[in-house]
This record gives sequence, structure tokens and C-alpha cells, in this order.
Amino acid sequence: MSAVPPGEEFPREWSFESSLIRPYSLTGGRTRPSRSDFSMTSQVVAVPSGAPPEVDPELELILSLCARPLSVAEVASRSGFPLGVTRILLADLLDQGYVMVHTSDWERNRPDAATLRAVLDRIREL
Amino acid sequence: MDGALVVMEAEGAGPVPDTLKIVVAGGFGAGKTTLVSALSEVEALHTEEVMTSESVGVDDLEGVEGKTTTTVALDFGRITLDESTVVYLFGTPGQRRFSFMWEELVEGALGAVVLADTRRLADSFDAIDFFESRGVPFVVAVNCFDGHRTHRADDVRVALDLEERVPLLLCDARDRESVKEVVVELVSLVLRLELSGA
Repeated sequence: MSAVPPGEEFPREWSFESSLIRPYSLTGGRTRPSRSDFSMTSQVVAVPSGAPPEVDPELELILSLCARPLSVAEVASRSGFPLGVTRILLADLLDQGYVMVHTSDWERNRPDAATLRAVLDRIREL
Repeated sequence: MDGALVVMEAEGAGPVPDTLKIVVAGGFGAGKTTLVSALSEVEALHTEEVMTSESVGVDDLEGVEGKTTTTVALDFGRITLDESTVVYLFGTPGQRRFSFMWEELVEGALGAVVLADTRRLADSFDAIDFFESRGVPFVVAVNCFDGHRTHRADDVRVALDLEERVPLLLCDARDRESVKEVVVELVSLVLRLELSGA
């Protein structure tokens, strides 16, 4: 058990959250999104000039992040909202027509050989 | 061109890329975040998911000492291959109790990297079993971050009871070129599967 250095007994990826109330107060207490269109890597982009004159600050923050396409995980990371909360807020924005979402077909079907070869070439070039 | 990527144009916002997801698993301290950072174009991103009794079986909350929720941290990186293709590398939360997160991460994943730490090889078993059971293509990368390649790849393969068809390579998770090799190995494996119709 001495493999873990002192001060690191508590893994970093393991932290307590004492209450659900705080993050989910932004969603009116909902813990599930109104729809399930969003995978972690789904790309979300704000509909140009689709923003309403007044939206809640957290929605405005998300819309500003999505001025260019951004994955759901990145929206969560950059906004600081937990993933679940982010999904609920994004679903609200989608319901209201303020964002578009694109989930890659590659989530359902493996890319074909030509695509995989192109990906390999690009990775080697990195 | 055959490999032309379909790009959805978002009016005024540029092309919306298609995405590939690669999952990086391994025990705590194996170097997952280091590996992700080595290849990511931005410093490893960080997000969190709140775990509730709803998202896992109630039994899984055993040991959480009366707390109603915990936060699971997720580190990930982004590699833009071109304007139409982005690869995301997601490090899995190490603990078995967070396996609900693994389920979501492997959904739609191209494949996975099991990052093994030779000091704690047993920590890799969970991940290997999980990917095998889900039919997720994976490679095993042995992290030799201490610079001492004290283990030969063959020995590690035997210790992990790894089938011959699973690629295994030594790597340095801090080194960009080395991590590139790991990802190339994985994508090559997926390509072989595609070509063989598997």
C-alpha cells in the first residue's frame, strides 16, 4: 500500500459533493434532460441570431460558448456546470430552437476503411 | 473522394465536425491524464458528473459514508485532425464504482486504450474485462514512465493473460510521439477489423 505517495491517498478523480441542490437549482430541480440528443461528443452550435433578447445567465453563457461548434463535454468543461446539468440546459436551448446539435454517424457506425486510413494519416502528421 | 467527410454547415459558424471518441482506461496513477495531455491540442479539459443513487445501483453507494452524492471527475482532450474531424480522448474514472460512467463512455467509441502500470498490473484487469465484454476494440499500452523498461512486452502479455490478437506496446505517456504510436496502433486495429468484416 506504500505505492501511493503521501497526500495522494485520496485520488483526485474522487471527490465528495455534499449536495445535489446547488448545481441542479439551475435546472429547476430536474435531473434528466427533456431529450436524449446529446452524447459527450455531440457538437452543439448556437443558431445565428437565434438568441432571445433575454435569457438566463447560464443559458447565455452556454450560447456564447457555442458561437462555434463545441462538444457537450467541452461546454460542460468551459461553463463549469456538471455534465448532467449541461445536458438539461442544452436540451432546453434545443427545444427553444436556439442551438443545433450534430451527433456524428461514427457514434453509430464504425467509419469506413477510407476514413480510417485518412484518420491514420492525419494522426501520423500531428 | 471515397473518404470525403460529410460536413454539416452551421450557417455563419463554420463547419460542424464529425467526432471520434477514444477511451483511455487504467488504474489510478497509471498516467491516463498524462497520456491525454500529451496529445491534446489544449491542456486536458476537465468536467464532472454528479453521481446519485439514481445513476448507479444503490448498492454501489456502499462506502460513500452517508453522503448522498459524489462527483466523478472526467479528464479529456481534443485533437482537431482537420475542419471536419475531431478526435476526443476520454480518461475513464478509475474506480469500479464509477462503471456507470464507463458504460456511457464506450457508447459509440471507436476503441480504447488500456494504460497499464507494471507496478500494479492487476489494476488493468477491470478495464480489459470490460472492453472485451462490450466488444470494444482496444490496445494495451504499458506505461514505462520511469524510464526503466524492466518488463518485456511478452512478460506483460502473459501476466495479463492477453489474447494474441490484442495489440500490446510499451509507451511513455508523457511523450507525444509515443502516445501517437499508441493511437495509431488502435486505429490500425480498428481498420483491420473493418477490412476483415469483423
